[in-house]
Amino acid sequence: MKIETILAGHGGQGVLELANWLAYFNMVKGRHVAYTPSYGPETRGGKVKCYVVSSDERIDSPIVDDPDILVVMNAPSMDFVPLLKTGGTLLVNSSLVSESHRRDDVKVVEVPATEIAGGLRAYSPEKGKDTAIAANSVMFGACLAVSGESIQDELDRIREVFGHFLTGRKAVYIPLNVKAVEEGFGHVTRARSAGLSPRSSVPHPGIAP
Amino acid sequence: MTAAREFLRGNEALAYGALKTGLNAFFGYPITPSSEIPETLANEFGNPRYPGFKVFLQAASELEAINMVIGAASTGAKAMAATSGPGFSLKQEGISYAAAMELPMLIVDVNRGGPGLGNLGPEQTDYFQATKGGGHGGYRNIVLAPSSVPDMAAFPALAFSLAFQYRNPVLILADAFLGQLKEDLMFPEVPAQEFDTSWATTGARGPERHILSSMHLDLPELSRHSEHLRSKFEEIDRREQRSEKYQTDDADVILVAFGICARLSQRAVVMLREKGIRAGLLRPITISPFPRGELAALVQRGVKNFLVVELNTGQMLEDVRLATGGRARLASVQRVGGLLPSPLDIVRQVEAMPR
Amino acid sequence: MIGVEGHYEVKLGQLPTLTGKPTHYCAGCEHGTLTRLIAYALQELGARERTVLVDSVGCSVLAHEYLNTDAVQAPHGRAPAVMTGIKRMRPDLLVFAVQGDGDAVSIGLSELIYAANRGEPITCFLVNNGIYGMTGGQMAPTTPAGMITTTTPHGRDITLTGPPIDASKLLATLEGPAYVKRVLLPVTPTPSADFYNARGSMEGARSVQNAFRVQEMGGFAFVEFVSTCSVNWKMSILQSKHYAAEVLAKIFPPGLYKDKFGVEKR
Repeated sequence: MKIETILAGHGGQGVLELANWLAYFNMVKGRHVAYTPSYGPETRGGKVKCYVVSSDERIDSPIVDDPDILVVMNAPSMDFVPLLKTGGTLLVNSSLVSESHRRDDVKVVEVPATEIAGGLRAYSPEKGKDTAIAANSVMFGACLAVSGESIQDELDRIREVFGHFLTGRKAVYIPLNVKAVEEGFGHVTRARSAGLSPRSSVPHPGIAP
Repeated sequence: MTAAREFLRGNEALAYGALKTGLNAFFGYPITPSSEIPETLANEFGNPRYPGFKVFLQAASELEAINMVIGAASTGAKAMAATSGPGFSLKQEGISYAAAMELPMLIVDVNRGGPGLGNLGPEQTDYFQATKGGGHGGYRNIVLAPSSVPDMAAFPALAFSLAFQYRNPVLILADAFLGQLKEDLMFPEVPAQEFDTSWATTGARGPERHILSSMHLDLPELSRHSEHLRSKFEEIDRREQRSEKYQTDDADVILVAFGICARLSQRAVVMLREKGIRAGLLRPITISPFPRGELAALVQRGVKNFLVVELNTGQMLEDVRLATGGRARLASVQRVGGLLPSPLDIVRQVEAMPR
Repeated sequence: MIGVEGHYEVKLGQLPTLTGKPTHYCAGCEHGTLTRLIAYALQELGARERTVLVDSVGCSVLAHEYLNTDAVQAPHGRAPAVMTGIKRMRPDLLVFAVQGDGDAVSIGLSELIYAANRGEPITCFLVNNGIYGMTGGQMAPTTPAGMITTTTPHGRDITLTGPPIDASKLLATLEGPAYVKRVLLPVTPTPSADFYNARGSMEGARSVQNAFRVQEMGGFAFVEFVSTCSVNWKMSILQSKHYAAEVLAKIFPPGLYKDKFGVEKR
């Protein structure tokens, strides 16, 4: 089983962190992973685009030309929608993206990640501080949901991922981020069961319906 | 399974690989895209896990760095430097001296866009410079070409082993993509190896003294020394060609690629096979000595088509041409400037080859 | 030729620190003098078996043919960097180099400055004769204004090339070095010009010993020896001694420019 993901947004949104978490999560699940950070013309103007591949087999190309999952954190990143495989999943931060995806052969999952994150002030170690920055953690939960993971089984692994990356003084942010993941996961799961999400009934191998 | 696996960037993996194999000294000058190597080493300097790591010094220039490596290497220590194109050019004088003095050392070039200042994208344009000996005089480097983060982690041990066995500089030619790519890896167990370092400078011992010099003013004497270097490299060529084959046993067309191109080519082979085309990949692990033996064997078996995929304007193509001896059709996919060919581009090029 | 005094009265070749091979240096050249002063100092220190000489490029390139110690050759100008690599791995060894003015002040100036700035516990000897000897008499960074060389056939024009560089003063501006000394090494004519005294050699002998002592105390030591090159200056040997005393010594005044450990007070 292999899942190829492109993640895109602008600098400061934590897209690269999100990609790292996704890759590391898959690695601790025992899969091979590859993470390619941005380089090339898209880094001009603060654009961030990166690739994550996870696979049971050793990975050949780490570069993703036609992803199974496209994570779009901001409006300009909708430019990458044409790359998505037929039957792939478009995961959109609907707090910042309102434009239409203009494809009817992909599944669209809208997650108001920035708003959801903003509602988690109570979990911030600095009481009352704005937590919209955790939007990428919300999307992490959403990614896990569309990849067929089960949050109940994976909470330990998720803590392991954050434990690896948020070290030293950053460790106080782990509870906020774990909560954000749970919220993102929950949002997608609820939307799915309410029948709000998939625009296409074409199932893609390896992706949860 | 999860405990021992690590998730590292190529440059970091290389730094840790060097530490785990007993690196003694690092001398370097910051240059993108290799700076993570000295930064990782600076971070680990003093860590009791690496008791052999005695010297970390950021030099004032690339020139200063390579000469510090010469000094440390002359004491028999495991010394290394890391750089990219412009710095690699500056180091050539030092590498020439080191080869002539028969000093073991590891020099890493993380190939970026060139020539001149270029850009920070991945290229393989330092191929000639690395494999044909970019410094003056007649000598050869041993050059390893990693294609993955696990390679970046494992190659320093292999490099030092070859360097000390043959008393020759060993280069690792990585590219900017591999330097930044992160993959899962497990560090291989490195068996401790003992090498004869009786040639090293330690101070004179009685009437015996160690002279490490590349100057042989007497013409026959220099001729003898150069002959010695040549025959040493012939032995290296006989014994140390390394490569990896992927689906080559029944292949009609063989892709030849290293570095990130090997990964893209491997995907292209999968895609070609799905279309019923019997493609295979030969991935050089040493680009010097070039795996001529494997290529010749493939030609001998009857393979008529080779496609070289590289990030330059046809450098390894020349080595493939030499190795296949005019008995096969050659084509190539070339990209420079930091651009990469897609697996689909490679597939299309194979499809366009007459078979 | 050398001022002899007490225990220095030994025949060339009997010192274990000398190989005994006749040197290739031109008649009248101070490289020969310095070679012997170094050999005496190493013998005095009993350091032969823990010394590494780093050969530089210039007339001093064959130093290991005459000094009987371990030797590692450095590319042109790079001796301070090579010495750093050796000393950092083997702080127990006594590491030194003899450089010419091209090696140290032209192509190798950066390496020299940075080794000095880091205070590397090594010893650098500079033979400054204001010209490139080995390559046949081209301009050096220390060539005086007006001097005719093969690349300044009408005399050095400092409006085009800049003036000569004072290595000792330059290094003395840095915090790093522990000992910076300049010695007028050639025999110098007495005022009456009837006699020549070897004060330079005595001062040279002391300075060489101090420079090694400073390294053993953990400091960077640099001694610049203002010297002659009669062949490339196109002078007689005696004329070249006069030129060194009357012209070069004014541009590069001998003296103690830095002595952090106070070795000269002992």
